[in-house]
Amino acid sequence: MASGTPYKPYRHLKTLTAHTRAVSCVKFSNDGTLLASASLDKTVIVWSSQTLSLVHRLVGHSDGVSDLAWSSDSHYICSASDDRTLRIWDARAAATESAHVKTLRGHSDFVFCVNFSPQSNLIVSGSFDETIRIWEVKTGRCLHAIRAHTMPVTSVHFNRDGSLIVSASHDGTCKIWDSSTATLLKTLIDDKVPAVSFAKFSPNGKFILVATLNDTLKLWNYSTGKFLKIYAGHVNRVYCITSTFSVTNGKYIVSGSEDRCVYLWDLQQKTMVQKLEGHSDTVISVTCHPTENKIASAGLDGDRTVRIWAQDS
Amino acid sequence: MNAPIIDPLQGDFPEVIEEYLEHGVMKCIAFNRRGTLLAAGCSDGNCIIWDFETRGIAKELRDKDCIAAITSVCWSKYGHRILVSAADKSLTLWDVVSGERLTRTTLQQTPLQARLNPGSSTPSLCLACPLSSAPMIVDLNTGSTTMLPVSIPDTGNGTVPQSRNKFSDGTPPFTPTAACFNKYGDLIYVGNSKGEILIIDHRTVQVQAMVPVSGSAVVKNIVFSRNGQYLLTNSNDRTIRIYENLLPFKDGLVALDDLDKTLNELDGVEKLKAVGSKCLTLFREFQDSITKMHWKAPCFSGDGEWVIGGSASKGEHKIYIWDRAGHLVKILEGPKEALIDLAWHPVHPIVVSVSLTGFVYIWAKDYTENWSAFAPDFKELEENEEYVEREDEFDLVPETEKVKESDVNEDDEVDILTLEKNSAFSDSDMSQEELCFLPAIPSPDVPERQDKCVESSSKLVDSNQSGSPLSEEAEPNGHTTNHASSPPEVVDNSAAEDAGGSRMKRKRKPSEKGLELQAEKVRKPKSSGRLSKVKNKSVVDQDNGNGFHGDDVSD
Repeated sequence: MASGTPYKPYRHLKTLTAHTRAVSCVKFSNDGTLLASASLDKTVIVWSSQTLSLVHRLVGHSDGVSDLAWSSDSHYICSASDDRTLRIWDARAAATESAHVKTLRGHSDFVFCVNFSPQSNLIVSGSFDETIRIWEVKTGRCLHAIRAHTMPVTSVHFNRDGSLIVSASHDGTCKIWDSSTATLLKTLIDDKVPAVSFAKFSPNGKFILVATLNDTLKLWNYSTGKFLKIYAGHVNRVYCITSTFSVTNGKYIVSGSEDRCVYLWDLQQKTMVQKLEGHSDTVISVTCHPTENKIASAGLDGDRTVRIWAQDS
Repeated sequence: MNAPIIDPLQGDFPEVIEEYLEHGVMKCIAFNRRGTLLAAGCSDGNCIIWDFETRGIAKELRDKDCIAAITSVCWSKYGHRILVSAADKSLTLWDVVSGERLTRTTLQQTPLQARLNPGSSTPSLCLACPLSSAPMIVDLNTGSTTMLPVSIPDTGNGTVPQSRNKFSDGTPPFTPTAACFNKYGDLIYVGNSKGEILIIDHRTVQVQAMVPVSGSAVVKNIVFSRNGQYLLTNSNDRTIRIYENLLPFKDGLVALDDLDKTLNELDGVEKLKAVGSKCLTLFREFQDSITKMHWKAPCFSGDGEWVIGGSASKGEHKIYIWDRAGHLVKILEGPKEALIDLAWHPVHPIVVSVSLTGFVYIWAKDYTENWSAFAPDFKELEENEEYVEREDEFDLVPETEKVKESDVNEDDEVDILTLEKNSAFSDSDMSQEELCFLPAIPSPDVPERQDKCVESSSKLVDSNQSGSPLSEEAEPNGHTTNHASSPPEVVDNSAAEDAGGSRMKRKRKPSEKGLELQAEKVRKPKSSGRLSKVKNKSVVDQDNGNGFHGDDVSD
C-alpha cells in the first residue's frame, strides 16, 4: 500500500438477521454477486451482495452447518455439517426446493471445513473424525480419505493451481499435502500447543496464513518453513475463527476475534489499522468481496447476525 | 507448477501402474497441452475426454454418423478443438466445450493418423496419413485434400505434380508413410519408405530439404518433442533415431529459404541433401540388440529428456524408457496384452498406455514420502557431514548475550499477489485463453434412500495387506457406470472407515504386497463379479504413496 494514501476506514453498512442460531461462516461468491452464510440452525442462506436481500434459504441438513465454500464459477455451494455429510447446492436454482444437488457421505463425525479446488472438479473436506477427504464433484465419489491428524481437522484449503492442500488441526500441526496423490509433503508446524485453528493460502499460493489459538496470526513462507509476519492484538483462544486477505484497496489481513470485533492489519507493517465494533458475540468468520471494498462478518449465538461493512468511496 | 516443495525430480520417469481407466474399448489417446485432460478414441466411434485430475469422465463426444473405430485423436493447440479420424475414412472436428461437431470430411482412404496444424488456435488445416497413400493436407472447411510428395524424383527440382481435387492423381501406391508438423506448423516432416526424411513447406507443397536416415529402412513413425528441439524416427530396421532440430523454431521456413539461396551452386537432390544436413543432425540411435524388437508408438517425455517406445510384439505390454543420451533406464512391464498406443504426460512423470483390450493404464512414480520434510526445521543432508564446531561452541555464555536468531527480516515486503510463471510452458503467444478444464457439474443425486447404500463394488480395505493401512483409496475409476447420464453413486466409506479406525496408527513402509502385485499382471475386473470380490485398494497412506491399484480376490 502506498504510504501516501491515507487509510479509509470501513463503516457499518447493514445488519442481516435471518438466522435463528449462531452463524458459523460467511463467504462472498467469486464473482461477487452473492453472499452465503451458514448457521447452526441447519440452514445456509444465500443473499444478493448488491441488495443484501435474502435469495434462498437452503434447508436440508439435519444438524448445524459449520462451513461452506463456493465453486469457482459461483454456481455451486458446498456446505459442511455436523450431520456428517456435505451438501452441494445450486446457487442459481430458480426454486429453493430444487437447489439441493448432491450429498457427499463418508465422514464418520462432524464435517468441519470444506473448500472447492480452483478448477472446481474436486472438493476437500476436513472433519472431527481426523480425516481429510477429497471428493470428485461430478459424481460425488470420494477419491481419497487421508488419516491426516490426531485431532479434529479445523481447516482445509487448496492452493491456486489446485496441486496442494493445506490442513490445520487441533493437534497443533499444519500440514501440506499433494492433492493428486494425497501424500504428505510437508509439516509446517509441529508443536502440540497451541492448536492451529485456521490455515489458508495467499492469492498467489506462495504463502500460508495460519491462525493459532494463542491470539496469533502468522504468515508463513511454506517452502522455507519460516514465518514472515505476525499479527496480534485480537483474541483467539477458543474458536476456529477464519481470517482472510483483503486486496481490493491495499493489502490487509482481516480476522474476526473473540472480543466481538473485526480486526484489520496492514499486511506489510503488521500494524492494526482498524477495529470494527458492532457484533454482540465472537466474530467467527469474515469474508472480503472480490472486487469491491466490502467485508462481511458473522457472529456467534449471542449475536446471530451477518454484518456488512464498506469503505466510503 | 507453483509448488516448490514437490519433489524436484520432476523430470523423472514413472515406475508402476497407478491406475487404469476403463470405458468401452479405447484405441488411441492424446493429452491436451497441459495434461489436464486426456482424450481417448474408442472402437465404437465415440471420443471420451477424461479429467485427468479426478480420473473421471469429463465429456463424451458421440457421433451418430460414426460407428467405426477411431484411429487417432488430436487436440488443437489451446485445447478448444479435437480432431478425430475413424476407420470409416472420416475426419471429424469437434468443439470441446460445447461438444458439438464442427465439420466432417470423408477421405479416399482410412486415415491412420490425423494431426491438426499446431500453428493456429482454430486450425482448419490438418495432416492426414492414410494407410496406403501419401500423406495429405486436408482443409477441414472445404474438404479439399492436397497430396504431399513422398519422394524426390531423380530429375527436376523437387516439386511433384500435385492434385488439388479429391481424387488420387495416379501416383504409384506407397507403403505407409509417417508425417508430422513441426512445432509452429509451417513445415511438415515426412518419413518415407526409402528411409528419407523430407522437409516440406505445406503451403507450396515443395520439398525444401531431405535427410537420409541411415539404414534406409521404411520410416514408421516420426514425432517431434514438445519443445520442437528434437525429432524422433522409428524405422523398420527396429531402430529409433533421435535428431536434433537445427532450424530456429519460429521462422523455420525463412531459414530454409536462406539456406536454399546460399547453396545455390548445387542442384536437385544434392541441394536438398545439403540443405537437409543443416536442418537435422543425428543425435542418438536406440535399439534392443538382444531381442531386436520392433517399436510401437515411440515418443518423448514432456521436457524431452526421456524417450519411450512400446514393444510391438503381441502378447506383451512393455515400455522401454531411455534417457536422451541413449541409456536404457527402465523397462515397464504391464499385463500380458499388446500395447497399441503410448503417451507421456506433458508436465508430470506419468505415462499412459493403451492395451489391446481397451484399457488405459496410467504409470506413475512410486511415491515414497520424505520423512525429513515432516519436521519443520529439519534439513536433509545428502551424506554424512563432518561437523566442525565453532571455537566458542561450548563456552558458557550469559543469556543476555545470546541474540535470538532470526534470519528473516520481518519488515521485508511480502508479495501475496504476483504469480510465478510456469517454466514448463514457455510459449509467449498466449493470445487466446487456453482450455484447461471442463466445468464439473455435479450430477444430481437420485432421491435418497433411507439407509446408506453399500455399493456393489465394496470399498473395504484389504486387510491382507501387510501392516495397517492408515487411509483408504476409494474405488479406482474403472466403472462402466461412470457415465454422465447414469445415476451417481452415493459412496459410503463409513463402514470401511470404522474398520480402519480400530486399527493401530502405526506407520509402515511401502507395502511389499503392493510391489508383488505390481510384478504380476494387473487383472481386469470382471464386470459381473464385483460383488464377490474385495477390491484391493492399495492404500495411499499418510506414510507411503504406493498408489498402485489392483484387483485381489480375497477368500
